[in-house]
Amino acid sequence: MSETEVQVSDIFLKEEVLFEKGQQYLVVAHSGHGKTSILNIIYGSNTAYQGAVNYVTTPPLKSPFEVRKSHLSYVFQDFKLFTDLSLFENIWLKNVLTHHKTKAEIEELIDKVQLLHKKDALVKNLSLGQRQRVAIVRALCQPFDFILLDEPFSHLDTENIHLVANLITDELKANNAGLIHTSLDGDTFFNYDKVLSL
Amino acid sequence: MLYKLQRKTLVPVQIIGYLITLFIGVSILIATLQFFVDVRSLLSEQTDVFSKKSVIVSKQVSLFKTFNKDGVYFDAEEIEELRSQPFVEEVSTFTNAGFEVSAFTDKSGNVPMFYTDLFFESVPDAYLDVTTDDWKWEPDSDFIPIIIPENYLNLYNFGFAESQGLPVLSKNTITKIQFNIQIAGNGKRKVFKSNIVGFSDKINSILVPMDFLTWANANYSDTEKRKVSRLLVDFKDPSDKAILQFFNAHNYNINKQDLEFTKVIFFFKTGLLFVLLVAVIIIVLSVAFILMSKNLILQKNATTILNLYYIGYSPKQIGKFYQMLTAGVTFVAIVLALICCTLVRGYYLDKFSNMFEATNNPNYIVPIGVFILLVLVGLYYVLLARSIKKLVVPKS
Repeated sequence: MSETEVQVSDIFLKEEVLFEKGQQYLVVAHSGHGKTSILNIIYGSNTAYQGAVNYVTTPPLKSPFEVRKSHLSYVFQDFKLFTDLSLFENIWLKNVLTHHKTKAEIEELIDKVQLLHKKDALVKNLSLGQRQRVAIVRALCQPFDFILLDEPFSHLDTENIHLVANLITDELKANNAGLIHTSLDGDTFFNYDKVLSL
Repeated sequence: MLYKLQRKTLVPVQIIGYLITLFIGVSILIATLQFFVDVRSLLSEQTDVFSKKSVIVSKQVSLFKTFNKDGVYFDAEEIEELRSQPFVEEVSTFTNAGFEVSAFTDKSGNVPMFYTDLFFESVPDAYLDVTTDDWKWEPDSDFIPIIIPENYLNLYNFGFAESQGLPVLSKNTITKIQFNIQIAGNGKRKVFKSNIVGFSDKINSILVPMDFLTWANANYSDTEKRKVSRLLVDFKDPSDKAILQFFNAHNYNINKQDLEFTKVIFFFKTGLLFVLLVAVIIIVLSVAFILMSKNLILQKNATTILNLYYIGYSPKQIGKFYQMLTAGVTFVAIVLALICCTLVRGYYLDKFSNMFEATNNPNYIVPIGVFILLVLVGLYYVLLARSIKKLVVPKS
């Protein structure tokens, strides 16, 4: 976004915005108001901004890749799945970075989102809704302090949304982690501590 | 899993193409270099081509010069010009006798009587291709050792003796014949004992030790200055093509055989250089080809690579597969090339052993191969790391 497009909001042009571990944040904005940008800035994949993002971790980070491996998990709006690999392979590819979960645990997660029968199907043969669930399961296969959700339920029906939201909530508790969820409008899938609008 | 994903980004034809072209290029390069090493030692042993560094230079004798002999002498300026040429190591002159020389046998001797006029010349000992203990002269000695050209003996044995019904003589017989030498000049004369102590292949003259000629010239010559008609020239590199150009331009004569050798070496070297150039071009093309393939693969799979980066893979981890792959393929190509070169070398050494004495030359096949491998793998390692980093790291 160019500077003229940025308007004062709960995040942009603020002197400091603090996201605390264990807290759940909802970022609400219309399309094109920078929801994905703010997540990318937090994730470190967008550096076109003025200011600084500081990660306060103990122990301090050894390399910037540590953030993605062990501190921030991200469900991308466009999934970023590898369509030539199978459903399970996509998740495994992420899991081998940290060996966070066992094969059985991953299969259990896949089963919970009702995709176990598609475990060995190539991702390119899955529907958007199925892909979205794969992306969410993959994001849970790493240790994290925050999970970033970029409109993660856009292709899911209400039943499936509750299913994955519960799954995410369980993992949040297990990791004692925070949540930053972007959405077009407010929702009640999580117990938000703070709602920020862009 | 990562390798499975990255394997799908490859185009096998490109990799096989690279493997084959690199194999061909490296094979030709190493085989040619090794061949040069092997052949050079063979040639230098067999014919002295490469080690022969000195030649005899004279001026062309023409009809005009027959009447005005000055034309066949080198003046100081010409010698200096030759000495200043970049390919010339050193120039020495033939010293000639400024007095009359005649040879004759004693009446009482058991050899046929003869009397003949002679001439003497001298060259520095370093240029002699004859080694003999008798080659020395001291001022109070009345014995002069003489070296004659080997082809004088051939001329006598196969030409003169044949037609005159005289006996043929071996080298050994000739060296046993004693005769007298009389030198005369400056109003003085002196008789020495003499015999032939050696035969020269290289220098076409009747040679006596330098010490003797210097002494005799001082005592029996009436002219101060000696005229120089022949030069001994040492070359830095006898195969330097500037040598031929210079001598042709100045109309100087050099030993025809040396000239031929220089030509042979020139063509031999030029041929090898051309083959080497082709080999280098093939290698450069194969490297350019794989680098282009690398760019294509990375561009075509930019999304996959970016996604890997997004889900937490570092550029180092992403690049590792491609680095290992290029290193592996390069390794295979070079090992195949080394095997091929070793076989080729074995084949031609086998052929050579039928024609020449066995020689033991250093084998440079493996060292050169390892060198090329290290250079290429290092190059790919750095370039791949840079390309992938450039691809994934966000531009600010």
